[in-house]
Amino acid sequence: MNILTRIGQNWSRFGLFLIIVAFWIFFSSVSHAFLSDFNLFTMLRLASCMIVIGYAQMVVLSAGEMNLAVGAIGGLMSLFVGGLMEAAHVPSIPAVLICLVVSALVGMVNGLLVVGTGINSFVITLATANIFTGIMYITTKGNAFNFMPPDFIAFGKTRLFGLPISPLILVMLVVTVFLFFLYRNTALGREILAVGANRGAARMSGVRTSRVLVIVHTLSGFLAGVAAVMMTAMLASAVPATGTDWLLPSFVAPALGGTLISGGNVAVVGTLMGGLLLGTLNSGILMLEISNFWLQFFLGVILLLTIGLDRLRAIHAERAVVQ
Amino acid sequence: MENSEVLALEAVGMYKAFPGVQALDNVDLRLRHGEIQALIGENGAGKSTLIKIITGLYKQDQGILRLDGREVEFSNTHEAMKAGISFVPQERNLIPAFTVGENIVMGRTPTKGVFVDYAAVNREAQRWLDVMGLDIAPTTVVKNLSAAQMQLVEIAKALSMENKVLLLDEPTASITPHEAEFLFEVLRGLKKRGVAILFVSHKLEEVYELCDRVTVLRDGRNACTDEPLATMDRDRLVSLMIGRTQKVTELPAKPIERDEPILEVRGLRAKSGTNGVDFKLYRGEILGLYGLVGAGRSELARALVGASKIIGGEVIIQGKPAKIHSVSDALNRHGIGYVSEDRKVEGLILPHSVAANISITIWRRIGGPFGWIWSRKEKGLVKEYVDKLDIKTPSLMQLVKNLSGGNQQKVSLAKWLAAQARILIIDEPTVGIDIKTKYALHDLIWNLAKQGQAILLISSDMPEMIRLADRILVMKNHQIVGEIQNNHNYEQISAAIMQKLM
Amino acid sequence: MTKTSLLRTLVNIEWAGLLGVVILAVVIMAFASPAFLSTYNQYVLMRDVAITLLVALSQLVVLAIGQMNLSLGMIGGLVVVITGGLMEVWHVPVPLSVLIGVIVGTACGLLNGFIIVRSGINSFIVTIATSSVFLGINYGMTEAVPFYNLTPEFKAFGQARWGSFPPILIVTIIVTILIAIFFARTIPGRQILAVGGNLLASQTSGVPVGRTVMMAHAISGAIAAVAGILLMARLGQAQPTIGQNWLLPSFAAPIIGGVALSGGSVTIMGTVLAALLIAIIQDALVLLNADPYYVQFLLGVLILAAVGFDRLAKRQREA
Repeated sequence: MNILTRIGQNWSRFGLFLIIVAFWIFFSSVSHAFLSDFNLFTMLRLASCMIVIGYAQMVVLSAGEMNLAVGAIGGLMSLFVGGLMEAAHVPSIPAVLICLVVSALVGMVNGLLVVGTGINSFVITLATANIFTGIMYITTKGNAFNFMPPDFIAFGKTRLFGLPISPLILVMLVVTVFLFFLYRNTALGREILAVGANRGAARMSGVRTSRVLVIVHTLSGFLAGVAAVMMTAMLASAVPATGTDWLLPSFVAPALGGTLISGGNVAVVGTLMGGLLLGTLNSGILMLEISNFWLQFFLGVILLLTIGLDRLRAIHAERAVVQ
Repeated sequence: MENSEVLALEAVGMYKAFPGVQALDNVDLRLRHGEIQALIGENGAGKSTLIKIITGLYKQDQGILRLDGREVEFSNTHEAMKAGISFVPQERNLIPAFTVGENIVMGRTPTKGVFVDYAAVNREAQRWLDVMGLDIAPTTVVKNLSAAQMQLVEIAKALSMENKVLLLDEPTASITPHEAEFLFEVLRGLKKRGVAILFVSHKLEEVYELCDRVTVLRDGRNACTDEPLATMDRDRLVSLMIGRTQKVTELPAKPIERDEPILEVRGLRAKSGTNGVDFKLYRGEILGLYGLVGAGRSELARALVGASKIIGGEVIIQGKPAKIHSVSDALNRHGIGYVSEDRKVEGLILPHSVAANISITIWRRIGGPFGWIWSRKEKGLVKEYVDKLDIKTPSLMQLVKNLSGGNQQKVSLAKWLAAQARILIIDEPTVGIDIKTKYALHDLIWNLAKQGQAILLISSDMPEMIRLADRILVMKNHQIVGEIQNNHNYEQISAAIMQKLM
Repeated sequence: MTKTSLLRTLVNIEWAGLLGVVILAVVIMAFASPAFLSTYNQYVLMRDVAITLLVALSQLVVLAIGQMNLSLGMIGGLVVVITGGLMEVWHVPVPLSVLIGVIVGTACGLLNGFIIVRSGINSFIVTIATSSVFLGINYGMTEAVPFYNLTPEFKAFGQARWGSFPPILIVTIIVTILIAIFFARTIPGRQILAVGGNLLASQTSGVPVGRTVMMAHAISGAIAAVAGILLMARLGQAQPTIGQNWLLPSFAAPIIGGVALSGGSVTIMGTVLAALLIAIIQDALVLLNADPYYVQFLLGVLILAAVGFDRLAKRQREA
């Protein structure tokens, strides 16, 4: 394998990493506050949330599906867990656990609708996104929950070992490890990729495709719930606005990282890098007090370039000699 | 009437190769004005490749294409159409939301400035519908038409371009015999107008009814070129298609357990079209399922493997009645595997690795708690089959789409071996595969049976069938019309098969 | 055959059911709340439809070719900022500003189409990316030159009221009719539908696919621009956040109206009725003092119901 092919194949891991490092160097050279304890702490917490949001979309993308309800589930679950803790006085740990179970169930609803009706996931999750957001607003009347139990708030605010490392980062890492090994070393992970790459062939090879699809949607809902809990802890409050701006990042992080929108492949570490880049850009822009223009503009350009390069690689690989 | 001065369409010395396979090997075709020529041949014979070259989808490696005596070269389908060649493919190629009129004039739509001149569209379309004697209003929306009507509209479209060459690919595949009759009348009318028609079909009765001459392709070569059908008897035609002059090397004997059939099928009927099939399959036996394309063999396979719903009859596996609800069922509960006819689309996941394609059937089995799979264990198992089948690949992680056709087919087969399917249905194993790999695959299949595997072999390749099968079931119209004990004597058995086919 | 074909495109039996639902909704509301039929309420309703319908049409044009435009909201916002800036900061006369605004919108759409055709990347990703770019430019301009108040005449037009009729609806009606004619009668419109309906057949017939894709996106951008400008006029302010919530409604109306996401067919009447229905539901909830939050919920249910029925109908037809 020549060097170009090698670089091409690992672009999503190395290339993106280099870009992130480059930005860190750039931002820190322009503003010394960038590498400050406070900023690192905030940035890494936000990035962790973005990464998990990216994972929520990544899992369905890998199966050739989409989940437009990622943000809606996030908002709904954020208020749900907030409400459990504040209004129903459920202690934080059971509240979080209940919330995660419900998130999974919500995701399962999506999966069952997709499989049961045969309608594509774009339309189904477009509809359910509206339904979930609607439920959220109806039940909470647009109110937020601002009085979380102290241990929950502490979870979001602690620094581990005196370093700007939040437990939220650990949560994200645990999820990362789980997903990494899911796709690499489990039967389910491989089945998901097979279904995403060629549903018909997977079915004809004995894979229970309906079951796989329901599972990925359930997992997606679950991960959206995890992100919701993380975000709520980070903000120390549950607001209805949570999730409204999750949709784009949920696609951008996996796409940047090399997960194809068409399905059949997955790049867990790549999505992590993608989310980290999003967090970096967000933070850097704020630090530098540059206009938001740069953030948005370059995000779009980077996305296009990355995918464009990906396509060039694919075309080049197809031209490779067949033995 | 024939006008044989200048050929309407001529293909001379066509060569086209794909990785590992010579699809066309010095193929000729001649088409005259005012004549209907049949182009026939079994799967993999090269018909569709030839048509794709004529209609501009492919470029030939070597060979000349002439239209009315002038040499032509096409870089896309639009050029071919403009040059005068119209193609009515097997699947409908109309725009469903548009009217008949608009479809007919598509690409040359009469305009009034930037607006479509619907009056002119309908006038023009009506003209051609009248020529064909069709009672369809040009304002009818295409998606409301029947399949037969859509086909006629496509022909009207071809006609309206005043193209002198018309190619029809399996035109009667999805229409009733009554509608087919109407189609033939139309075609005869076109013939009188001097159109040169190439009629591709598997239905020999139709070929005899409609066509003047015939060209037969087999294994990428002409078995006969441009011969008048009047002097061609059916026996000879079929033997040209399926080949009777090939030598068959003997394979050694092998035991067959005939005490209890591993699979017994009674009166099977399925949504796929299977209409009352009975047979028994024994361990160690290669049961051949022979028939021309359209006989219903793959449909039978799909029913057995859970891909098509069974609506009647019984399936008995090792003495116990079996209910097959899905492919997953068939594999995991009953041990039935199906090596698909369409390996690139259904049999393999091209963008994935050799390892992933082979182990897909055993992930559930080798997965430990939580479905955990140790990569090394998986690779070890996969390697076993890669070696056993002699699959040529630089590594287990090589993407299947980069392998040659023969090796791809081996991967497709390997996954079912890995699954240790008790009953293996192999559908057209060597279509489009080079000779050397073909014989290697034969040996493989033979050895599997020798080791006790029960195999149902579907093939349109007569020599392959006679070489491998212990018994041969002949299928026609979704039913079994004959059973032949195979003594591997080519002359005898091929004659017996053909007799059952008539 | 001239008048009937236009009528035929508009009169697509498939939206008859939707018409029934709309009439039912109107009747129910008329009884449920006396205020519903008041001229003021009709005015509010029509005012909302004016914008929603344009947003839906912007998406519809791209759906017709079997693609999506996820950047239409950001195009709207960007055009608002530019048009507003031209009018307020550089004192460019209103008609010229509006014209430039529409040109900018068209250019943005054209950019989308160009990237899609040239790179071969699917419209989903491309328009996600460009929506980010357009938003960025929006922010850049707003931060550089913030402004709020618009020319009085412009505001007057946007906030005018003729009994129950909002003049801005005139613009929407004109655009709707133009789009209907475009798809029913003009060559480029038919080409868009052809490419969406059967790409292979279109290519073989010589339809210039690349150009057609770009045209569809360009028109989408233009309509998004018009929607933004109208909304700006109505609000009286060049709010840079205009368009940020357009995405879901832009799909909802076409889907409920019966447009196939795979492309190749449009139903203007269906989209109009769906936009109307959505506006009625929103209005009804306000009038009935119900939780305004039910809107989104009902919207989602409506989408599921619409596609669900469509599916059932298809299965019936096939049986």
